[in-house]
Amino acid sequence: MKTLVLGLGNQILSDDGVGIRVTEELEGKLNQQEVTVMETSLAGLSLLDLLVGYDRVIIIDTIQTREGRVGQIYRLEPGAFATTHHAATPHDVNFATALELGNRLGLSLPRQITIFAIEVEDVTTFSERCTPKVEQAIPLVTEMVIQELNAG
Amino acid sequence: MKRISIDPITRLEGHGKIEIFLNDEGEVENAYLQIPELRGFEKFCEGRPVEEMPRITPRICGVCPAAHHLASTKATDAVYHVDPPPAAKKLRELFYCAHMIHSHIAHFYALAAPDFVLGPSSDPAQRNILGVIAKVGLEVGGEVIKHRAYAQDIQAVIGGKATHPVCGLPGGMTKAITEEERQDFEEKAKSSVEFAKFSLKVFNDLVLANKEYLELITGDIYTMKSYYMGLVDGNNRVNFYDGDIRVVDPDGKEVTKFKPADYLDYIAEHTEPWSYLKFPFLKKVGWKGLVEGKDSGVYRVNSLARLNVADGMTTPLAQAEYEKMFDSLGGKPVHATLAFHWARLIELLYAAERLLELCQDEEITSPEVRTIPTATPDEGVGVVEAPRGTLIHHYQTDEKGIIQKVNLIVATVHNNPAMNISVKKAAQGLIKRGKVISEGLLNMVEMAFRAYDPCMACASHTLPGQMPLEVTIYNSQGNIVEKLSQHLPSGSLEVRTTVVPKRTGE
Repeated sequence: MKTLVLGLGNQILSDDGVGIRVTEELEGKLNQQEVTVMETSLAGLSLLDLLVGYDRVIIIDTIQTREGRVGQIYRLEPGAFATTHHAATPHDVNFATALELGNRLGLSLPRQITIFAIEVEDVTTFSERCTPKVEQAIPLVTEMVIQELNAG
Repeated sequence: MKRISIDPITRLEGHGKIEIFLNDEGEVENAYLQIPELRGFEKFCEGRPVEEMPRITPRICGVCPAAHHLASTKATDAVYHVDPPPAAKKLRELFYCAHMIHSHIAHFYALAAPDFVLGPSSDPAQRNILGVIAKVGLEVGGEVIKHRAYAQDIQAVIGGKATHPVCGLPGGMTKAITEEERQDFEEKAKSSVEFAKFSLKVFNDLVLANKEYLELITGDIYTMKSYYMGLVDGNNRVNFYDGDIRVVDPDGKEVTKFKPADYLDYIAEHTEPWSYLKFPFLKKVGWKGLVEGKDSGVYRVNSLARLNVADGMTTPLAQAEYEKMFDSLGGKPVHATLAFHWARLIELLYAAERLLELCQDEEITSPEVRTIPTATPDEGVGVVEAPRGTLIHHYQTDEKGIIQKVNLIVATVHNNPAMNISVKKAAQGLIKRGKVISEGLLNMVEMAFRAYDPCMACASHTLPGQMPLEVTIYNSQGNIVEKLSQHLPSGSLEVRTTVVPKRTGE
């Protein structure tokens, strides 16, 4: 199964870089030929372009929730965001809209999409380091991604 | 009206806010737009080699990395006092035209079109790119994706990477393009010209042909008389990559034209206690508050501003569309804020035509793409027109080229005063005493600022995958009467995400 592991975020914006940090951790720990590991800071329509041609994708991203505990890890599926179709984002469409657009256009999109989201604290200060609780979550998420890959 | 001060602690919640204050009669007294700001960029850059800046700055924003890369690269040219060879400049511009195409297509089809193709008050669940393609045809969606991909391919080949380009160096570019690559780009450029023409036709048929929309565009609530700023070439034509900064007044008369390096002589920044973003204004005119008109130093950048400051376009099809727009809207300058969308499509056509011209330039495959710097680095300014407007990078280094000081003025900051005025004006025009404040009405207030395509701390991609906007309306006692959090997720994530009830405090 052609699989893409995609770390999303910005590695110079504190916790926003956690997805990319996880993909860096994964380097050297994976030996499956069918797995591609990639990092990007793209969103919306541009993200769609990256997914085309894969059977399965695992995305590692950040999340901010009202009552969330920093460092908490969520395993989500795209359905979780299915109701966020409002168009009025500052720049681009959101992930759910992009996926639905891709499906309607008949693009060859992954059948299986899993998102690991890490509850973050600071995504507005320029820094190459994550905050301590998010830093601690990195080995854990890395292990969860490996298990997800092994589970097929 | 009761004065309400906004607690600074509550200012930043990771999303944009529009706060509207009503008076005792229920009319809009004031409205503010607040945009969160990323912190610590200057400190992050200090002590790093200046040639790293073109690779760091594209990370500020996942939306316009190419604009930051080139403004930064041009600033390093200036720091090292080096002039890149002609082929390098052309290659940079070619790359940049592809970026403009990529950005402008997304803005029109994903953000502007839903309000017009489906209507400003249509069901928000339909008012998105999916609703647009349902109406204009599925094949149009395919064309959108295809031409975005073309523009992205061109940027990836020249830039070295799909997202964050690494091609710009002080004095030129890392590598030239091959003849094979040029031929591929040329085909993609030709197709992009056709798609840009088609997009203008969509705008013409669905927006301009609709009397109601045309009235909305030209109507008073979306009109703002201001100064305009943008880059122009030696003949005062629009140029995205290089030139002088020209400023025209609300009557369209040139008030100044200056070298990018002199920007501090012309632009000053005002601060307000309620906003993290600064409020730039024209020094010569002065800060008179958040007011429009000739006596106020507020100016605007972005697509319409670029067309207002220029005498025309250098490519034939875009020039014809430029003339058509100004003829239709009553001559230059156009003050209709919603016309930013129209201007953006004219620029899409220009970017595609210019891309094609550059692909057919004899020099474009020349291997001479670098002048090796020999001077001691010190200080430099680099300016490009980002899709959202004039982007200024200013660096100071020591004699080893280590960054001592960084100053950036990005498009959204230039437009910050104007966006506040536009939002207030729209709110005043739309929210009247006793009138039910509906979602559609508030969407029309949002349209006033969406036209500027503002960048709200977009480097952060934290889920739910977008920077939400919250609209809050207060009565004269300072109590919340209406609150809409338009883009927060609901459904299965409801228990744990930042869900604010859709309407509270009624």
